Amino acid sequence: MAKVAFVAHCLLNQNARVAGGAYCSGVYSPFVAELRRRGYRLAQLPCPELAFAGLNRFWAVREQYDTIAFRRHCRSLVAGVAGAITAHLERGDEVVLVGVDGSPTMGVQITSSDAGRGGRPEWEDDADLSAGRGILIEELLAELEARGVAAPRLTGIRHAPGDALPDRQREALVSFLEA
Amino acid sequence: MTDIDLRGFRVALVADELINDGGAGFDVLGALDEAGWGVVLLPPTWYPDTTATPLLDAIADQLHEYNRHGYVLALVGERPGLDAALARAGVPVPPAVRAHTASELRAKLADIASALAPRDAAAAQRGISADPARP
Repeated sequence: MAKVAFVAHCLLNQNARVAGGAYCSGVYSPFVAELRRRGYRLAQLPCPELAFAGLNRFWAVREQYDTIAFRRHCRSLVAGVAGAITAHLERGDEVVLVGVDGSPTMGVQITSSDAGRGGRPEWEDDADLSAGRGILIEELLAELEARGVAAPRLTGIRHAPGDALPDRQREALVSFLEA
Repeated sequence: MTDIDLRGFRVALVADELINDGGAGFDVLGALDEAGWGVVLLPPTWYPDTTATPLLDAIADQLHEYNRHGYVLALVGERPGLDAALARAGVPVPPAVRAHTASELRAKLADIASALAPRDAAAAQRGISADPARP
């Protein structure tokens, strides 16, 4: 039995992030190091925002992505992901999922929300954080449920600049992985 | 969020066995990280086609976007079905890189990255010009 971590796309590839949101050049290595140190194999979730809204997309909150077209896009993405999770579970692998908290699409415990956001972009950092899941995460859990597949344990981390995970992030991740 | 975007504008598609099974004989992920490349991890070859095909199509769609914005792309290892997925998205297959050591991989990636000419908002934020003739 292998341990497999399905991780948000940008944790391996910061180039997918919205402009102004890339905390390092490529791999968010402090996070990846924690997983590899614990023997996790890596699997990468697709970035739902990149192919849909592009590299030059604006920062957005959940409500802006919560359209029928974007959910259809997410459902097409999670079909493959749910198949992959199912394939690992059928082999007896332990599967966990790590999203990105604060993300409108990949948040697990925290997403970003502002029902009034729109028009010319202008807002303060983090003013929109709220409890809840991102849209792709919601669609993935719905797809697994529809297939009768148990959802993996899941958590989210927040990015931070620099070469080390902030202590609280590290503690939360380690606690999750060792649970 | 940071004030300055730190992305490297370099993205490598990497075969699963090279990241998860040590198939290259050295730490490929570590070498890519050290060289500042982002990683798009290709699905394992044992996935059923019904699972792998949509995953590869999603990767091809993302590559289309990187290609459109002048990011440097490379392919490390192989993945059956990738070429077809890229063709469906109208994306050329990135230059393939084969290396026996981490230093060889980094050197070959550096050669490819010398063509870097990103054209997007993050590049503008960092003052990177797509036109080498412009300051």
